[in-house]
Amino acid sequence: MTTAASLTLPLKAPRWLDALGWRTLAGALLAAGIVHILATLAVPLLGAGSGFARLRQDLPANRMVVWPPSAPGKEPLPFLMPDALYAVCHYDLAHDSLRVAVTLAHAGWLLSLHSAGGENFYAMPAQPLHHDQVSLTLVPGGEKVEFVPQPRRVGGPEANVASPTTEGLVIVRAPLKGLAWRQDAEAILRHASCTPVPR
Amino acid sequence: MSRLRTLLVNLAVFALVAVGGGLGSAWYMIEAGSQLSTRTFGPWTAWTAAGRPDADPYTRAHTTRNALLPISSTLELTYKARTDSRGGKLTSACDYALVVEGLDSSWWNLAAYDTRGRLMANAAERYAFTSDTVMREPDGRAIITLARDARPGNWLPIGGGGRFVLILTLQDAAMASAAYEGAPGAKLPAIERVACR
Repeated sequence: MTTAASLTLPLKAPRWLDALGWRTLAGALLAAGIVHILATLAVPLLGAGSGFARLRQDLPANRMVVWPPSAPGKEPLPFLMPDALYAVCHYDLAHDSLRVAVTLAHAGWLLSLHSAGGENFYAMPAQPLHHDQVSLTLVPGGEKVEFVPQPRRVGGPEANVASPTTEGLVIVRAPLKGLAWRQDAEAILRHASCTPVPR
Repeated sequence: MSRLRTLLVNLAVFALVAVGGGLGSAWYMIEAGSQLSTRTFGPWTAWTAAGRPDADPYTRAHTTRNALLPISSTLELTYKARTDSRGGKLTSACDYALVVEGLDSSWWNLAAYDTRGRLMANAAERYAFTSDTVMREPDGRAIITLARDARPGNWLPIGGGGRFVLILTLQDAAMASAAYEGAPGAKLPAIERVACR
Protein backbone atom coordinates (compact mmCIF):
# COMPACT_ATOMS: atom_id res chain seq x y z
CA MET A 1 0.00 0.00 0.00
CA THR A 2 1.29 3.43 -0.92
CA THR A 3 1.07 6.29 1.51
CA ALA A 4 1.35 9.96 0.78
CA ALA A 5 4.60 10.13 2.70
CA SER A 6 6.22 7.51 0.52
CA LEU A 7 5.44 9.38 -2.70
CA THR A 8 8.40 11.28 -4.13
CA LEU A 9 8.50 13.90 -6.85
CA PRO A 10 10.47 12.91 -9.93
CA LEU A 11 12.15 16.37 -10.03
CA LYS A 12 13.77 18.16 -7.14
CA ALA A 13 12.73 21.78 -6.61
CA PRO A 14 15.63 24.25 -6.90
CA ARG A 15 17.22 25.11 -3.55
CA TRP A 16 16.58 28.83 -3.87
CA LEU A 17 12.85 28.15 -3.65
CA ASP A 18 13.34 27.23 0.01
CA ALA A 19 14.34 30.83 0.67
CA LEU A 20 11.13 32.19 -0.87
CA GLY A 21 8.49 33.24 1.63
CA TRP A 22 4.75 33.11 0.94
CA ARG A 23 4.48 36.72 2.02
CA THR A 24 6.85 37.71 -0.76
CA LEU A 25 4.73 35.89 -3.31
CA ALA A 26 1.48 37.36 -2.04
CA GLY A 27 2.98 40.86 -1.98
CA ALA A 28 4.40 40.40 -5.48
CA LEU A 29 1.02 39.35 -6.86
CA LEU A 30 -0.62 42.36 -5.22
CA ALA A 31 2.06 44.66 -6.63
CA ALA A 32 1.65 43.04 -10.07
CA GLY A 33 -2.05 43.91 -9.95
CA ILE A 34 -1.24 47.51 -9.10
CA VAL A 35 1.36 47.73 -11.90
CA HIS A 36 -1.18 46.20 -14.30
CA ILE A 37 -3.85 48.78 -13.45
CA LEU A 38 -1.42 51.72 -13.50
CA ALA A 39 0.07 50.66 -16.86
CA THR A 40 -3.38 50.21 -18.42
CA LEU A 41 -4.59 53.60 -17.22
CA ALA A 42 -1.33 55.34 -18.12
CA VAL A 43 -1.35 54.42 -21.82
CA PRO A 44 -4.30 56.67 -22.82
CA LEU A 45 -3.11 59.45 -20.50
CA LEU A 46 0.41 59.55 -21.95
CA GLY A 47 -1.06 59.20 -25.43
CA ALA A 48 2.14 60.16 -27.25
CA GLY A 49 1.46 57.70 -30.04
CA SER A 50 -2.28 58.24 -30.30
CA GLY A 51 -3.94 58.98 -33.62
CA PHE A 52 -4.68 62.55 -32.60
CA ALA A 53 -1.11 63.17 -31.36
CA ARG A 54 0.31 61.89 -34.65
CA LEU A 55 -1.90 64.10 -36.81
CA ARG A 56 -1.94 67.24 -34.65
CA GLN A 57 1.54 68.38 -35.72
CA ASP A 58 0.81 68.26 -39.44
CA LEU A 59 -2.68 69.73 -39.55
CA PRO A 60 -3.46 73.46 -39.42
CA ALA A 61 -6.02 74.40 -36.78
CA ASN A 62 -9.63 74.95 -37.84
CA ARG A 63 -9.09 74.28 -41.52
CA MET A 64 -10.28 71.33 -43.59
CA VAL A 65 -7.53 69.44 -45.41
CA VAL A 66 -8.22 66.79 -48.08
CA TRP A 67 -5.93 63.77 -48.02
CA PRO A 68 -5.20 61.69 -51.10
CA PRO A 69 -6.03 57.97 -50.93
CA SER A 70 -3.61 55.98 -48.77
CA ALA A 71 -0.76 54.27 -50.56
CA PRO A 72 2.01 51.99 -49.25
CA GLY A 73 4.46 54.08 -47.26
CA LYS A 74 2.14 57.10 -47.24
CA GLU A 75 -0.44 56.11 -44.65
CA PRO A 76 -1.18 58.90 -42.15
CA LEU A 77 -2.36 56.31 -39.61
CA PRO A 78 -2.19 52.52 -39.34
CA PHE A 79 -5.17 50.48 -40.53
CA LEU A 80 -6.67 53.51 -42.27
CA MET A 81 -9.26 52.42 -44.80
CA PRO A 82 -7.70 52.43 -48.30
CA ASP A 83 -9.60 53.34 -51.46
CA ALA A 84 -11.09 56.30 -49.66
CA LEU A 85 -10.51 60.03 -49.60
CA TYR A 86 -10.46 61.84 -46.28
CA ALA A 87 -11.11 65.44 -45.35
CA VAL A 88 -9.71 66.20 -41.91
CA CYS A 89 -9.97 69.27 -39.71
CA HIS A 90 -7.96 69.70 -36.52
CA TYR A 91 -10.30 71.79 -34.41
CA ASP A 92 -9.35 74.04 -31.53
CA LEU A 93 -12.24 75.52 -29.56
CA ALA A 94 -10.08 77.60 -27.20
CA HIS A 95 -11.40 80.89 -28.60
CA ASP A 96 -14.25 80.22 -31.01
CA SER A 97 -16.83 77.60 -31.75
CA LEU A 98 -16.62 75.81 -35.08
CA ARG A 99 -19.18 75.43 -37.83
CA VAL A 100 -18.78 72.22 -39.81
CA ALA A 101 -20.48 71.87 -43.19
CA VAL A 102 -20.06 68.73 -45.28
CA THR A 103 -21.85 66.75 -47.95
CA LEU A 104 -22.24 63.00 -47.47
CA ALA A 105 -22.81 62.06 -51.07
CA HIS A 106 -22.95 58.26 -51.21
CA ALA A 107 -23.38 55.15 -49.07
CA GLY A 108 -20.33 54.62 -46.88
CA TRP A 109 -19.55 58.32 -46.57
CA LEU A 110 -19.24 59.29 -42.96
CA LEU A 111 -18.73 62.38 -40.83
CA SER A 112 -17.10 61.65 -37.47
CA LEU A 113 -15.93 63.84 -34.62
CA HIS A 114 -13.11 62.62 -32.38
CA SER A 115 -11.89 64.07 -29.11
CA ALA A 116 -8.18 64.48 -28.37
CA GLY A 117 -8.37 61.14 -26.57
CA GLY A 118 -9.62 59.45 -29.74
CA GLU A 119 -13.23 58.91 -28.62
CA ASN A 120 -15.72 59.20 -31.43
CA PHE A 121 -18.35 61.36 -29.72
CA TYR A 122 -20.41 62.03 -32.84
CA ALA A 123 -20.87 60.21 -36.15
CA MET A 124 -23.23 60.74 -39.05
CA PRO A 125 -23.29 58.27 -41.95
CA ALA A 126 -24.70 59.06 -45.37
CA GLN A 127 -28.41 58.33 -45.40
CA PRO A 128 -29.75 57.71 -48.91
CA LEU A 129 -33.29 58.79 -48.08
CA HIS A 130 -32.29 61.99 -46.30
CA HIS A 131 -30.64 65.26 -47.12
CA ASP A 132 -26.96 64.68 -47.92
CA GLN A 133 -25.78 68.05 -46.62
CA VAL A 134 -24.87 68.20 -42.97
CA SER A 135 -24.18 71.33 -40.96
CA LEU A 136 -23.40 71.46 -37.27
CA THR A 137 -21.71 73.73 -34.77
CA LEU A 138 -19.08 72.32 -32.49
CA VAL A 139 -19.01 73.94 -29.04
CA PRO A 140 -16.92 73.29 -25.95
CA GLY A 141 -18.50 70.67 -23.71
CA GLY A 142 -20.50 71.86 -20.71
CA GLU A 143 -20.42 75.46 -21.82
CA LYS A 144 -23.57 77.41 -22.49
CA VAL A 145 -23.04 79.48 -25.59
CA GLU A 146 -24.94 82.35 -27.12
CA PHE A 147 -24.57 82.21 -30.87
CA VAL A 148 -24.32 85.16 -33.18
CA PRO A 149 -27.08 84.65 -35.76
CA GLN A 150 -25.58 83.94 -39.17
CA PRO A 151 -27.08 82.77 -42.42
CA ARG A 152 -26.78 79.04 -43.00
CA ARG A 153 -24.38 78.03 -45.71
CA VAL A 154 -25.99 74.72 -46.37
CA GLY A 155 -29.45 73.35 -46.01
CA GLY A 156 -30.60 70.58 -43.73
CA PRO A 157 -30.98 70.39 -40.01
CA GLU A 158 -28.29 72.12 -37.98
CA ALA A 159 -27.30 71.09 -34.49
CA ASN A 160 -24.93 72.09 -31.74
CA VAL A 161 -22.56 69.33 -30.72
CA ALA A 162 -20.56 69.61 -27.50
CA SER A 163 -16.96 68.49 -27.71
CA PRO A 164 -15.60 66.80 -24.56
CA THR A 165 -12.14 68.28 -25.22
CA THR A 166 -10.94 71.64 -26.50
CA GLU A 167 -9.08 70.05 -29.37
CA GLY A 168 -9.95 67.15 -31.62
CA LEU A 169 -10.56 66.03 -35.17
CA VAL A 170 -13.39 66.32 -37.66
CA ILE A 171 -13.07 63.55 -40.26
CA VAL A 172 -15.08 63.02 -43.42
CA ARG A 173 -14.50 59.61 -44.98
CA ALA A 174 -15.40 59.19 -48.63
CA PRO A 175 -14.91 55.64 -49.95
CA LEU A 176 -14.28 55.54 -53.69
CA LYS A 177 -16.39 53.29 -55.89
CA GLY A 178 -13.62 53.40 -58.47
CA LEU A 179 -11.17 55.74 -60.14
CA ALA A 180 -13.97 57.33 -62.15
CA TRP A 181 -15.50 58.67 -58.93
CA ARG A 182 -12.30 60.20 -57.55
CA GLN A 183 -12.60 63.61 -59.17
CA ASP A 184 -16.21 63.90 -58.15
CA ALA A 185 -15.45 62.87 -54.56
CA GLU A 186 -12.48 65.24 -54.33
CA ALA A 187 -14.60 68.13 -55.55
CA ILE A 188 -17.27 67.42 -52.94
CA LEU A 189 -14.70 67.10 -50.16
CA ARG A 190 -13.02 70.38 -51.14
CA HIS A 191 -16.30 72.10 -50.37
CA ALA A 192 -16.33 70.63 -46.86
CA SER A 193 -15.48 73.32 -44.34
CA CYS A 194 -14.79 73.94 -40.70
CA THR A 195 -15.03 77.64 -39.91
CA PRO A 196 -14.51 79.37 -36.55
CA VAL A 197 -17.66 81.08 -35.26
CA PRO A 198 -17.40 83.78 -32.54
CA ARG A 199 -19.21 82.89 -29.33
CA MET B 1 25.27 35.02 4.32
CA SER B 2 22.21 32.81 4.36
CA ARG B 3 19.99 35.73 5.37
CA LEU B 4 21.44 37.88 2.60
CA ARG B 5 20.76 35.12 0.11
CA THR B 6 17.19 34.81 1.33
CA LEU B 7 16.70 38.56 1.03
CA LEU B 8 18.13 38.67 -2.49
CA VAL B 9 15.99 35.75 -3.66
CA ASN B 10 12.85 37.34 -2.27
CA LEU B 11 13.68 40.73 -3.76
CA ALA B 12 14.39 39.22 -7.17
CA VAL B 13 11.19 37.19 -7.23
CA PHE B 14 9.16 40.15 -6.00
CA ALA B 15 10.54 42.42 -8.75
CA LEU B 16 10.09 39.79 -11.44
CA VAL B 17 6.49 38.96 -10.53
CA ALA B 18 5.42 42.53 -9.76
CA VAL B 19 6.97 44.30 -12.74
CA GLY B 20 7.14 41.49 -15.28
CA GLY B 21 3.76 40.03 -14.41
CA GLY B 22 2.05 43.41 -14.12
CA LEU B 23 3.41 44.83 -17.37
CA GLY B 24 3.17 41.53 -19.25
CA SER B 25 -0.47 40.96 -18.33
CA ALA B 26 -1.32 44.60 -19.14
CA TRP B 27 0.38 44.29 -22.54
CA TYR B 28 -1.56 41.10 -23.29
CA MET B 29 -4.90 42.60 -22.31
CA ILE B 30 -4.21 45.77 -24.35
CA GLU B 31 -2.88 44.09 -27.48
CA ALA B 32 -4.69 40.76 -27.68
CA GLY B 33 -7.76 41.61 -25.62
CA SER B 34 -9.94 39.27 -23.64
CA GLN B 35 -13.61 38.50 -23.23
CA LEU B 36 -13.86 41.66 -21.14
CA SER B 37 -13.12 43.88 -24.13
CA THR B 38 -13.42 41.84 -27.33
CA ARG B 39 -15.81 39.47 -29.04
CA THR B 40 -14.55 36.69 -31.31
CA PHE B 41 -16.55 35.15 -34.13
CA GLY B 42 -14.54 32.45 -35.90
CA PRO B 43 -11.30 34.10 -37.07
CA TRP B 44 -12.71 37.61 -36.55
CA THR B 45 -12.16 39.65 -33.40
CA ALA B 46 -13.78 42.99 -32.64
CA TRP B 47 -13.14 45.49 -29.86
CA THR B 48 -16.81 46.11 -29.25
CA ALA B 49 -16.44 49.32 -27.24
CA ALA B 50 -13.88 50.94 -29.55
CA GLY B 51 -14.51 54.61 -30.18
CA ARG B 52 -17.22 54.87 -27.54
CA PRO B 53 -16.89 57.55 -24.88
CA ASP B 54 -17.74 54.89 -22.25
CA ALA B 55 -15.11 52.42 -23.49
CA ASP B 56 -13.32 50.29 -20.91
CA PRO B 57 -9.68 51.11 -20.00
CA TYR B 58 -8.28 48.22 -22.05
CA THR B 59 -10.08 49.38 -25.19
CA ARG B 60 -8.95 52.97 -24.62
CA ALA B 61 -5.36 51.82 -24.19
CA HIS B 62 -5.61 49.60 -27.27
CA THR B 63 -6.85 52.40 -29.53
CA THR B 64 -4.31 54.90 -28.16
CA ARG B 65 -1.34 52.56 -28.38
CA ASN B 66 -2.17 51.55 -31.94
CA ALA B 67 -2.94 55.12 -33.06
CA LEU B 68 -6.45 54.14 -34.12
CA LEU B 69 -9.35 56.53 -34.61
CA PRO B 70 -12.25 54.10 -34.55
CA ILE B 71 -15.81 55.02 -35.36
CA SER B 72 -18.13 54.43 -32.43
CA SER B 73 -19.20 50.81 -32.27
CA THR B 74 -22.82 51.94 -32.00
CA LEU B 75 -22.62 52.62 -35.73
CA GLU B 76 -19.76 50.68 -37.27
CA LEU B 77 -17.73 47.71 -36.18
CA THR B 78 -14.25 46.71 -37.25
CA TYR B 79 -13.27 43.05 -37.20
CA LYS B 80 -9.66 41.93 -37.42
CA ALA B 81 -8.49 38.48 -38.53
CA ARG B 82 -4.95 37.23 -37.98
CA THR B 83 -5.75 33.60 -38.74
CA ASP B 84 -7.84 31.60 -41.18
CA SER B 85 -10.93 29.70 -40.05
CA ARG B 86 -8.81 26.69 -39.04
CA GLY B 87 -6.53 28.77 -36.84
CA GLY B 88 -3.50 28.95 -39.14
CA LYS B 89 -1.71 32.32 -39.29
CA LEU B 90 -2.54 34.33 -42.39
CA THR B 91 0.53 34.34 -44.59
CA SER B 92 1.13 35.48 -48.12
CA ALA B 93 2.67 32.08 -48.89
CA CYS B 94 -0.90 30.76 -49.09
CA ASP B 95 -4.03 31.57 -51.09
CA TYR B 96 -7.32 32.13 -49.27
CA ALA B 97 -10.96 32.45 -50.27
CA LEU B 98 -13.68 34.45 -48.53
CA VAL B 99 -17.34 34.20 -49.37
CA VAL B 100 -19.27 37.28 -48.31
CA GLU B 101 -22.98 36.66 -48.08
CA GLY B 102 -25.83 37.89 -45.93
CA LEU B 103 -24.40 41.38 -45.53
CA ASP B 104 -26.66 42.94 -48.15
CA SER B 105 -28.12 45.52 -45.80
CA SER B 106 -24.71 46.77 -44.65
CA TRP B 107 -22.01 48.84 -46.25
CA TRP B 108 -18.76 46.92 -45.77
CA ASN B 109 -15.06 47.18 -46.55
CA LEU B 110 -12.46 44.40 -46.57
CA ALA B 111 -8.78 45.38 -46.64
CA ALA B 112 -5.46 43.58 -46.19
CA TYR B 113 -2.54 45.07 -44.25
CA ASP B 114 0.78 43.91 -42.93
CA THR B 115 0.87 43.17 -39.20
CA ARG B 116 1.72 46.80 -38.38
CA GLY B 117 -1.29 48.18 -40.22
CA ARG B 118 0.51 49.31 -43.38
CA LEU B 119 -0.72 48.68 -46.88
CA MET B 120 1.16 46.07 -48.88
CA ALA B 121 2.55 47.31 -52.17
CA ASN B 122 1.32 45.50 -55.28
CA ALA B 123 1.44 46.22 -58.98
CA ALA B 124 -2.35 46.27 -59.27
CA GLU B 125 -2.54 49.00 -56.58
CA ARG B 126 -5.47 47.15 -55.08
CA TYR B 127 -5.81 47.17 -51.32
CA ALA B 128 -9.48 46.65 -50.53
CA PHE B 129 -12.96 45.76 -51.70
CA THR B 130 -16.17 47.35 -50.56
CA SER B 131 -19.79 46.34 -50.99
CA ASP B 132 -19.83 48.90 -53.82
CA THR B 133 -16.75 47.68 -55.70
CA VAL B 134 -16.91 43.90 -55.33
CA MET B 135 -18.19 41.73 -58.20
CA ARG B 136 -21.03 39.45 -57.20
CA GLU B 137 -22.17 35.99 -58.24
CA PRO B 138 -25.66 35.62 -59.74
CA ASP B 139 -26.94 34.57 -56.30
CA GLY B 140 -25.62 37.77 -54.68
CA ARG B 141 -22.59 36.24 -52.94
CA ALA B 142 -19.18 37.86 -53.31
CA ILE B 143 -16.19 35.53 -53.54
CA ILE B 144 -12.88 37.23 -52.77
CA THR B 145 -9.58 35.50 -53.44
CA LEU B 146 -6.54 36.54 -51.41
CA ALA B 147 -3.36 35.63 -53.20
CA ARG B 148 0.12 36.90 -53.97
CA ASP B 149 -0.32 36.48 -57.74
CA ALA B 150 -3.21 37.57 -59.94
CA ARG B 151 -6.40 35.51 -59.81
CA PRO B 152 -9.63 35.86 -61.78
CA GLY B 153 -12.58 37.61 -60.15
CA ASN B 154 -12.22 39.59 -56.93
CA TRP B 155 -8.48 39.28 -56.38
CA LEU B 156 -7.04 40.99 -53.32
CA PRO B 157 -3.21 40.98 -53.38
CA ILE B 158 -1.53 40.08 -50.08
CA GLY B 159 2.05 41.18 -50.57
CA GLY B 160 5.25 39.41 -51.33
CA GLY B 161 5.94 37.59 -48.10
CA GLY B 162 5.25 37.36 -44.44
CA ARG B 163 2.15 37.55 -42.35
CA PHE B 164 -0.77 39.83 -42.91
CA VAL B 165 -4.06 40.76 -41.29
CA LEU B 166 -7.53 41.37 -42.67
CA ILE B 167 -9.81 44.16 -41.52
CA LEU B 168 -13.53 43.89 -42.17
CA THR B 169 -15.49 47.07 -41.46
CA LEU B 170 -19.27 46.79 -41.25
CA GLN B 171 -21.41 49.90 -41.17
CA ASP B 172 -24.59 48.56 -39.67
CA ALA B 173 -25.93 49.86 -36.37
CA ALA B 174 -28.08 46.78 -35.69
CA MET B 175 -25.18 44.41 -36.25
CA ALA B 176 -22.83 46.55 -34.15
CA SER B 177 -25.35 46.51 -31.33
CA ALA B 178 -25.76 42.72 -31.61
CA ALA B 179 -21.98 42.21 -31.55
CA TYR B 180 -21.75 44.36 -28.41
CA GLU B 181 -24.18 41.93 -26.80
CA GLY B 182 -22.11 38.95 -27.96
CA ALA B 183 -23.95 37.83 -31.10
CA PRO B 184 -22.46 38.39 -34.56
CA GLY B 185 -25.79 39.64 -35.91
CA ALA B 186 -24.99 38.23 -39.34
CA LYS B 187 -22.80 35.52 -40.79
CA LEU B 188 -19.23 36.80 -40.97
CA PRO B 189 -17.26 35.33 -43.88
CA ALA B 190 -15.14 32.26 -43.23
CA ILE B 191 -11.49 32.49 -44.35
CA GLU B 192 -10.65 29.25 -46.13
CA ARG B 193 -7.07 28.36 -46.94
CA VAL B 194 -7.00 27.14 -50.53
CA ALA B 195 -3.36 26.25 -51.16
CA CYS B 196 0.14 27.04 -49.95
CA ARG B 197 3.46 27.18 -51.75
